[in-house]
Amino acid sequence: MTDAAVPQQISGRGLGERLIDALLSGRGIWPAVPAIIVLMVVAVVPFVILLSLGFSNIVVSRGEIVSQTFSLAHLTNALTDPLYWTTFQRSLNLALTTTLLCLVFGYPVAYLFLVGGKWTKRAILILTIAPLLTSGIVRTYAWLVILGGRGVVNSTLMNLGLIDQPLRIMNTHWAVLIGMVQIHLPVMILPLIAVMSRHDSRLVEASANLGASRLATLRTIVLPLSVPGIGTGAALVFTLSYTTFVVPQLLGGGNYLNAATMIYEQVVFSLEWSKGSVSSLILMVTCLIVLVAIALVTNHFTRWTKGRDA
Amino acid sequence: MTALRKYSLGDIFGVGLIFAVGLFTLLLLVAPSIIVVIISFDTRAFVSFPPEGFTLRWYAEVFQQGELVEAMANSLQVGLTVTVLCILLGVPTALACARGRFKGTTALSVFVLVPHMVPGIVLGVAVLFAGALVGVSPSIWLQSISITVFILAVMVRTVQSRLVRLDPALEEAAANLRATPFQSLRTVTFPLLMPAILAGAVFTFVEGFDNLSVAIFTHGFRDRPLPVELLALVQYTSSPLVAAVSGVQIVLAIAALIAVSLSIGLDNVNE
Repeated sequence: MTDAAVPQQISGRGLGERLIDALLSGRGIWPAVPAIIVLMVVAVVPFVILLSLGFSNIVVSRGEIVSQTFSLAHLTNALTDPLYWTTFQRSLNLALTTTLLCLVFGYPVAYLFLVGGKWTKRAILILTIAPLLTSGIVRTYAWLVILGGRGVVNSTLMNLGLIDQPLRIMNTHWAVLIGMVQIHLPVMILPLIAVMSRHDSRLVEASANLGASRLATLRTIVLPLSVPGIGTGAALVFTLSYTTFVVPQLLGGGNYLNAATMIYEQVVFSLEWSKGSVSSLILMVTCLIVLVAIALVTNHFTRWTKGRDA
Repeated sequence: MTALRKYSLGDIFGVGLIFAVGLFTLLLLVAPSIIVVIISFDTRAFVSFPPEGFTLRWYAEVFQQGELVEAMANSLQVGLTVTVLCILLGVPTALACARGRFKGTTALSVFVLVPHMVPGIVLGVAVLFAGALVGVSPSIWLQSISITVFILAVMVRTVQSRLVRLDPALEEAAANLRATPFQSLRTVTFPLLMPAILAGAVFTFVEGFDNLSVAIFTHGFRDRPLPVELLALVQYTSSPLVAAVSGVQIVLAIAALIAVSLSIGLDNVNE
């Protein structure tokens, strides 16, 4: 467009429109500036403050900080406290087991999606997305109903005469694990489906035409191609299950402490802000380490797939 | 073609197992919700299975409890605020990321993603502490802006991935017809982006309405959002009241799902 054309268009337009044109015409960073400012104020600055609180002694009075001095005490206290180690270990174990089980139970659904017809695909999508639209608390509550003393499992077993006394399932590690897996399943299945629906169906057909069995096709074609989806799903499920407190709080009873419930207690109940900051930082760093590990493994196997294609 | 396929015993067993596990998982996804809906009609004042009668009493009670209704209104307000803010901040950011010709478009995309990658409770704690330092106490507004920051990446990514796939010839044609950047945006780009913005809006609204991890640290003392109210309710009551609240939510979720699939199609949501 020539410069001569511009003055003609500008006539008769308001200041707002001209301003938007000016912001858009250079294709610069301008449209993103409001978001950048908000992210700086509400995310970056608070993270810096969280970091500073973790490395200082503070005195809080009436919800406001009155004095702050540098100190490594909270970090060293946390790292030498056996409670921290067992709590974070428990969280890590729980999250990794959850991620693995979600993959084991979720992958077959994605495979059904791949081989299924139009209506199967549609049904699977609806069944997977619908739970995400209801709150996590509601979905956890369902497990209270199922696993509770007078819940579905116990009533059924007792009516069948298999047991006399209700089994104690609630408030155990198993209840937490079952709840965790079921609640995070959709988050694993959706990325798997996304990656499967991008598959070139000719590859599977070609494999069958060459005489490969369905299992061989699954192992050599479908599985390697879905590695990126596995990586995304695993990263999402791990982050969510490592940092949730709804499920441990409700299904584990008051005494099941994971990293998230510990932070919640430190910040909201005992008002130990420096401890809470240190715990939050440890949670964030350990989460990041696992995410990087997942990304590296995913990348490794994706590259291997690419190598095979070539 | 089929004659070439070999169905060995191992193949049939293996694929059968995969199908069985897949069907079991699908059942596992819905069964809990169905059980909760059944429980919500029980006449007894405690949760037990199977139910012994049919009543709508708990549903009536949901709307008679002032705190619950207020919490629903609060969460509705947060959900709408978060959606509006995400559209206002996210769509222009997506434009800058996808159409920008400046150095650092990738850095910008990553920067927007960072708050979303950080665990929600860490963001919540950070905002609470930062607010306390500058004298901003938790409120429905602090909660809304915090959840906006947390979920903004979803809107940006949804719109951005649609923008990248748009045919640039359409916008070039608009420019050749002497449309100003604003005119081309309004008449060409926005209508094409609408499905992506809608999909983003659904997800940001649900997050604003349902988020607990950020909200539990940033919500106002008097403006408790629904998830916080529900958490307390589940912990301290044993009546099917919570089941009725769940029933309401499940009906709303199905309605939302139908609305989405009718307007933009389920396949778009998955992108």
